[in-house]
Amino acid sequence: MSTPVHIKGFTNDTLSWKAWLDVVQLEQATPAQMAVLEESHPKAKESDYYLFLVHQPEILRQRSLAFNAIMYAPGGLSRAERELASTVVSRINGCVYCASVHAQRFEQLAKRLDVIEQVFEEPNGAGTTARERAIVDFSIALTLNPDHVNAESIAKLKETGLSNSEILDLIHSIAIFAWANRLMLNLGEPIFPSL
Amino acid sequence: MLNLNASDTIDRVVNLSNQQQTYVVRHEREKVVSATQGSEDGLFDPALPGLTLKERLCVALYACLLTPAPELATEYESRLVRLSANAQTLTHIKNLSIQAIKDTRLQAMLNFTETLITKPINADKQALLSLPQAGLGTAEVVTLAQLISFVSYQVRLAAGLKAMRALENQS
Repeated sequence: MSTPVHIKGFTNDTLSWKAWLDVVQLEQATPAQMAVLEESHPKAKESDYYLFLVHQPEILRQRSLAFNAIMYAPGGLSRAERELASTVVSRINGCVYCASVHAQRFEQLAKRLDVIEQVFEEPNGAGTTARERAIVDFSIALTLNPDHVNAESIAKLKETGLSNSEILDLIHSIAIFAWANRLMLNLGEPIFPSL
Repeated sequence: MLNLNASDTIDRVVNLSNQQQTYVVRHEREKVVSATQGSEDGLFDPALPGLTLKERLCVALYACLLTPAPELATEYESRLVRLSANAQTLTHIKNLSIQAIKDTRLQAMLNFTETLITKPINADKQALLSLPQAGLGTAEVVTLAQLISFVSYQVRLAAGLKAMRALENQS
């Protein structure tokens, strides 16, 4: 279905992920841990990532609530544009695993991969339209220099047609990947498919 | 009604009141508002076993100072002061001179915080394994990683909302 992309160490391949420390064994999981796994992600019970984070079930539960509300809620910023922002943040932070997942989701939603190829090649200035370029620019700015983001940064987004609700969703999508990337980067590593 | 929602840290730190459009827009995503506060409440729950509340607040303060996120740094510092945290430790953190901290477990956590906040790509297996070496159990490592990562989210959410509020105030 999708064209394989490999640019500067980033890819849209389906990767796995392995934890560097001990994960919770399903047969030893408490009822509270099982409940949180079930509500976090359809495949959480097979995922090292969730099986590691569920060492602290209530914290994982709140994180999953935030993540799912930010990425999947209807209305506001299009889901494809949320995935674009997530992919830009992951590219900037160097999270190959997150970038691969969200590049795929962007393609599923937008039926194209052109802007993702640009982001993988060079995030600064990437975007196929003025609106996309504004989303990419803002994603980079809030990721690298949150203290420099100001009224003018928001005005630039509005100039390309983003509403206040869309800007809020964009801020959420960028911020939640500051969180997600740091977990993926520091608790384990991606596993590349063997050819 | 002008009362700020005192129980919501983001609204309080960004100084959002319910008469502002930015507040109204934010609260249209109520699930995100409640899970953001819920995450903070869980991470700083005094009853959470493992890392002490003071240790967790020191990590949050240091993360905010490094970002930098001055309003949230003030918030976490004031919570530490209310808990009568060690003044010398606080001074070392505020001076970003954590190598002077004598508590090696706290120092290992703050070193890890620095890597994850400033250069997340450098957070490799060796950086993670330094934590069990400093005496942290796996569940404590999870708490620490979630805490630092949450603060990375919180500072960007606050910065974005502050910028939205600033533009709103100009018009």
